[in-house]
Amino acid sequence: MTPIDAAAAAVARRRGPSRRRARAGRIFVAPNLTAVAVFMLFPLGFSLYMSFHDWDMFSPAKFVGLANYRSLFAEDPLFDIALRNTVVYTVGTVVPTVLISLAVAGVLNRKIKGIAIFRTIIFLPLAVSSVVMAVVWQFVFNTNNGLLNIILGWIGIDPIPWLVDPKYAMASLCIVSVWRSVPFATVILLAAMQGVPENLYEAARLDGAGELRQFVSITVPLIRSAVSFVVVISIIHAFQAFDLVYVLTGRNGGPETATYVLGIMLFQHAFAFLEFGYASALAWVMFAILLVLTVVQLRLGRRRAAQEERSWA
Amino acid sequence: MAWEFTYAGLAERGVLLDLNTMLAHDKTFAAELRADSVASMYETFTYNGGQYAFPEQWSGTFLYYNKKSFAEAGVRPPPGRWDQPWSFGEFLDAARVLTKRDRSSRVSQWGFVDTWAPYYSALMFGMNNGVPWSEPRMNPTHLNFDDAAFIEGIQFYADLNNKYRVAPTASESQSMSQTDLFTSGHAAMALGGHWRYQTLERAPDLDFDIAVLPTGPKGHAARSNIGTTGLAIASSSPRKKQAWEFVKFATGPMGQAVIAETGLFVPALRSAVRSSGFAKAHSRIGNMAVLTGGPAHAEGLPVTPAWPKIVALMDRNIGPVLRGSRPAASLTDGLTPKIDEVLRTP
Repeated sequence: MTPIDAAAAAVARRRGPSRRRARAGRIFVAPNLTAVAVFMLFPLGFSLYMSFHDWDMFSPAKFVGLANYRSLFAEDPLFDIALRNTVVYTVGTVVPTVLISLAVAGVLNRKIKGIAIFRTIIFLPLAVSSVVMAVVWQFVFNTNNGLLNIILGWIGIDPIPWLVDPKYAMASLCIVSVWRSVPFATVILLAAMQGVPENLYEAARLDGAGELRQFVSITVPLIRSAVSFVVVISIIHAFQAFDLVYVLTGRNGGPETATYVLGIMLFQHAFAFLEFGYASALAWVMFAILLVLTVVQLRLGRRRAAQEERSWA
Repeated sequence: MAWEFTYAGLAERGVLLDLNTMLAHDKTFAAELRADSVASMYETFTYNGGQYAFPEQWSGTFLYYNKKSFAEAGVRPPPGRWDQPWSFGEFLDAARVLTKRDRSSRVSQWGFVDTWAPYYSALMFGMNNGVPWSEPRMNPTHLNFDDAAFIEGIQFYADLNNKYRVAPTASESQSMSQTDLFTSGHAAMALGGHWRYQTLERAPDLDFDIAVLPTGPKGHAARSNIGTTGLAIASSSPRKKQAWEFVKFATGPMGQAVIAETGLFVPALRSAVRSSGFAKAHSRIGNMAVLTGGPAHAEGLPVTPAWPKIVALMDRNIGPVLRGSRPAASLTDGLTPKIDEVLRTP
């Protein structure tokens, strides 16, 4: 064996196991990939295809071009209402969620006795299914005997018809939604806060900064990427709201159109009216809106980070 | 199982088998069924020339009333036959006397509660003011929300809780369902159908009977509705013959007699409704004529494939009327054009 042969053999030996490892890797990934293809890519492609068709599930689909999109934007007065409601719901959920979870995470980040118990309690709602949650909140919102109105009664406020009156229905929905989203946001923010180096706080304390000042000037800027992650995720969740609304205020997004959000509209068209093409078009419009929102947000986040780096340098 | 409101959409899409194709080969059964059926119920499932189901039960609405509450208040019990109508005024007077308040003016007993879907019930009052929901019944292009008498009936229903305060509002029935209010003796009259009978029969200390719905000033007679479910066969079924045998059994005299004896439904066939088994299963009811005469005194509700959309529209538009924030007359301009548009282009 010449030295060259020996070298080639060595390379082959080395390549053997690595190639085998690569194959094993592919086999391990295959089930996952199949699942993604079957349960994600196929439905996505299928719904895009369907959005250009008129399909009621029973008769063959009929190609209608952009007609579904056209009637969604130009002819359906309920689309505007649903979009407006969804925006109100999203803002009404995301802003309080971020503020409350920042505060809660800040408090939970302290080193005090029994903090583990408080953390567990805060995270509990995460484990409750949203339907169960909605049913429980229905009792809370009960006009005559609900917990909320009883408490408000103590400070002299007359019973409020939370879920019955269109004026209050959306507010009720936001309250439940915030209650549901805070735990997840808190977990993320708390994890990020624990990654903030302790010596920064020490330095700040030496400079005479109080707790609040430390929180605003050190904690919040240093966990900005976590905050923006929470904002993006919360927006996506809120935009797709369905289960909470369905259980709390009914399948038609009532009273009247007070809680008629895009998720309810989509469900109604697909499963009550059997207009799967129209519902698919709506789903893709929702997707497009979310995509644009997310991209804009990430861009803004990146630009801000770059600016900061420059200012530090 | 096919429902009068939703089968049209399925029939139109070719999901349901036209049972006439089976009847054509089964002349004896066809004749037997024809002779024993109530025409209006049978025809509920006749759509565009096909027969897409056979009725298996009548589930029209009527009133349940608490005999004890009526006796204690000295109010004459409501009539128990469809050919003996009572007026909206008499009904309201009774409900007023039967609504009791405690010292803190909280209601301890309501005169009237509704155990059905409120917007459907509102339309029942419109119908009992002499106006059908739609003309024609099958595939209508217009519903009568612009008819003054129909609107008057709906307004009367809405006023029961908002103006006369004899019925609980949506808020007031949040903590206890309207059915529970009646079973626990906190309501004197309840609108509902036979589907509530099993629950009420089991309620301890509840002595009740049934009565006909009140008739409005423009109404001609007391009316219930043709609420019905039927049995259908899927047109793609690989076992049509076996399915046909079952449908024949369940909707024919034999199966209907079994249904009658169980007391679970009001059977659709006349022979079964009049059977001693049916009477025995309802021994607690005095006014059996409300059930036995119901189908013949019932009017049909619109049958259209666009029904799911109509329901969504009604829910959205009748809500404010029932809450008292808008008059029923607002439906004439607010709801009618939208419904007509849906009916024209489903």
